Amino acid sequence: MSPHRILLVEDNDTNREMLQRRLTRNGFQVLEALDGRQAIDMMLSDPPDLVLMDMSIPVLDGWAATQQIKADARISHIPVIALTAHAMVGEREKALACGCDDYDIKPVELERLLGKMKHLLKR
Amino acid sequence: MVNSLQDVDGYVVTDADFRGIFEHLVEGIYRTAVDGRFLLANPALAAIYGYASPAELIATLTKIDEQLYVDADRRGEFIRLMEEHDCVWSFESAIYRKDRSIIWISENVRGIRNSAGQIVYYEGTVQDITERKRAEEELRRAKEAAEELSRAKSQFLANMSHELRTPLNAVIGYSELMMEEAHDADIHLFDKDLQTVRGAGQQLLELINDVLDLARIESGKTELFLEQFDIATMLNDVEATLLPLVRNNRNHFGIRIDPNVGCIHADLTKVRQSLFNLVSNACKFTEDGQVDLSVYRETRNGVATGYIVFQIKDTGVGMTPYQMERVFEPFVQADSSMTRKYGGTGLGLAITREFCRMMGGDVTVESELGKGSTFQMRIPLDVSVPPIVVEEPSPIELEPEIPAGSQVVLLIDDDESVHPVVERLLEKEGLEMVSAFNGRDGLELARKIHPLLMILDVIMPGMDGWAVLSKVKEDPVLRDIPIAMLTMVDDRELAFSLGVSDYMVKPINRVRFRAMLKRLLISDDTGYILIVEDNDQTRHMLKITLEQAGWTVAEAYSAHSAIEHLKHHSPQLIISDLMMPGMDGFQFTTQLQNHLEWKEIPVLVLTAKEITDEDRRALPPNVKQILQKGSYGREELIREIRAHIHDHEIPHLTPSPH
Repeated sequence: MSPHRILLVEDNDTNREMLQRRLTRNGFQVLEALDGRQAIDMMLSDPPDLVLMDMSIPVLDGWAATQQIKADARISHIPVIALTAHAMVGEREKALACGCDDYDIKPVELERLLGKMKHLLKR
Repeated sequence: MVNSLQDVDGYVVTDADFRGIFEHLVEGIYRTAVDGRFLLANPALAAIYGYASPAELIATLTKIDEQLYVDADRRGEFIRLMEEHDCVWSFESAIYRKDRSIIWISENVRGIRNSAGQIVYYEGTVQDITERKRAEEELRRAKEAAEELSRAKSQFLANMSHELRTPLNAVIGYSELMMEEAHDADIHLFDKDLQTVRGAGQQLLELINDVLDLARIESGKTELFLEQFDIATMLNDVEATLLPLVRNNRNHFGIRIDPNVGCIHADLTKVRQSLFNLVSNACKFTEDGQVDLSVYRETRNGVATGYIVFQIKDTGVGMTPYQMERVFEPFVQADSSMTRKYGGTGLGLAITREFCRMMGGDVTVESELGKGSTFQMRIPLDVSVPPIVVEEPSPIELEPEIPAGSQVVLLIDDDESVHPVVERLLEKEGLEMVSAFNGRDGLELARKIHPLLMILDVIMPGMDGWAVLSKVKEDPVLRDIPIAMLTMVDDRELAFSLGVSDYMVKPINRVRFRAMLKRLLISDDTGYILIVEDNDQTRHMLKITLEQAGWTVAEAYSAHSAIEHLKHHSPQLIISDLMMPGMDGFQFTTQLQNHLEWKEIPVLVLTAKEITDEDRRALPPNVKQILQKGSYGREELIREIRAHIHDHEIPHLTPSPH
């Protein structure tokens, strides 16, 4: 079975590289985007199996990008997990309301995140 | 006039005495004319206003409204108050002294009227309150500055916490990554060092989370996210997270859950975090000892209070009374030597207390130095409905006294915690509640008090809800009392077929409950209207319009639910939409027309559909009027309803038991 393709949308180079390496170690193929616009373009030209979306990203932020993804029938089926560093109250509800399939906070607890990813990829 | 005045020793007070008081009093005394001139002033007043003598003051200050008050409208305000009340007390104003410097004065004044009832002059005293005003102003500024500082601090902490998390993300993530990759490459040289880096990062993260939590609480940005959850399941999660902590100090950890704690309606994250804080705290201050967590429903004098209690008892170092007092203060550990020995931020307990209080509960501690501590956290079973404070002592009333003709609802439920919740909801509607905790007592009470409504739990030991229901329906005295079933199991069809008037699944939804009361307790002389409309917004708008016009309204979101409603109730008029999913308005009104009891109920059709002649022919004669959505006004609607309710006045039918 070919590995699951994960699109990682994150503007912070360090965090993106770190997560990319850890996911690769865990058997995923990781594609990278630096902002929401680029993420949507990549999804349209080469759809991944799942998107990990940092919410505070430039050009088009994670909230707006997810809304566009979920409104676009071509890519709306691809699960999106929101990642935010704020862990503010209401962020979870906000993420789910704008169409995210799940939500996690940074710093990422890898086991927990992998669990959520596997759950969504099984669907 | 003054001659008759005597002091206590019989000394007759002379005019010279009064003059002395007038001349030497520290308060200013004056008499002024209505037109704004001074007629009299004592030396103290001249001094307060900055004049050399009363004579100078009287000669110079001839237009009080223009010359004295800083606020030009102040004299007008003074005159208005005098006309209204004849006197003013503590009338505080900023005034100009002779040298144009500004001071604050306070006046007590009365108006003197002539025989025609007109005020001819004012007499009053004046105090210089500039110092007090200045102090007040300084206090106010200091308070504002402190509040501003506190806000800024909270904002700063929140921002900093966020900024700190980003690099920490890398510290923790990369140390984990290196451990993983080292493991893959079978290199173990750095295992311990990497563990240390990761552990330190994790510790720092927890600290930042605590600071962030507290900052959020202080800046009022913490919100509650309420949900229903199973307590035992949550405890399993907490236990799994806590086990490493328990093992660290070689402690034993025991959990005792009362089998009937069940579910709680609260903020899961905050309850879990609070518990975690309390238990990890107990583990931290206990070595080679015992930490016990017990969870139960609180009762007082055998009556459920509506609180769940989480009790955490340890055999650790304990605290002195002084330490106990301060233990919930932020940034304070029991004492600073503890910080060096035990580490931690000292924020955990402060956060726990804030969380508990936000949810309407609290956390308390009892402790003995060297013996251990017991923390007790109380959270309402349903945070959205604060429990009633049970006054002590509160014996259960076995023979409730029911005032004649009162609005009494009988609740029959073996679950004690439901009673205070329902009572509170009934109270809000001006209703009284009588409690029974089993079916037999319930029936007996019902016969005695003949309640307005019975609320009945289904699952009860002994005689269950169904049995009570069938007894009630067999009893000619009780059978007309409406019954609402309240239960954990959804068995609505059976309930309605047995003649239940309404049905609610626990936990009690306040809005639903109130709607149920409204519907079931409509008194005989007010009409009510059933709205059948699938669009929530339209239905809601219509409901508000009708309620404002004085009608009681029942709502159905589909024709099917309307029919269900009609089986047990008799509205005086029905307003129905035409285009609805499932059974549409044409089918619905036709079904009404074909039913013996329902065909008399007038129906107004309210539709957005363009009505054709064919449509009109398809509608049965019980449809009295067709109103086009958007083309009728509020008044027209109300006029139509009035006309048809009046024309077809039907005797009120009590919910007919089947």
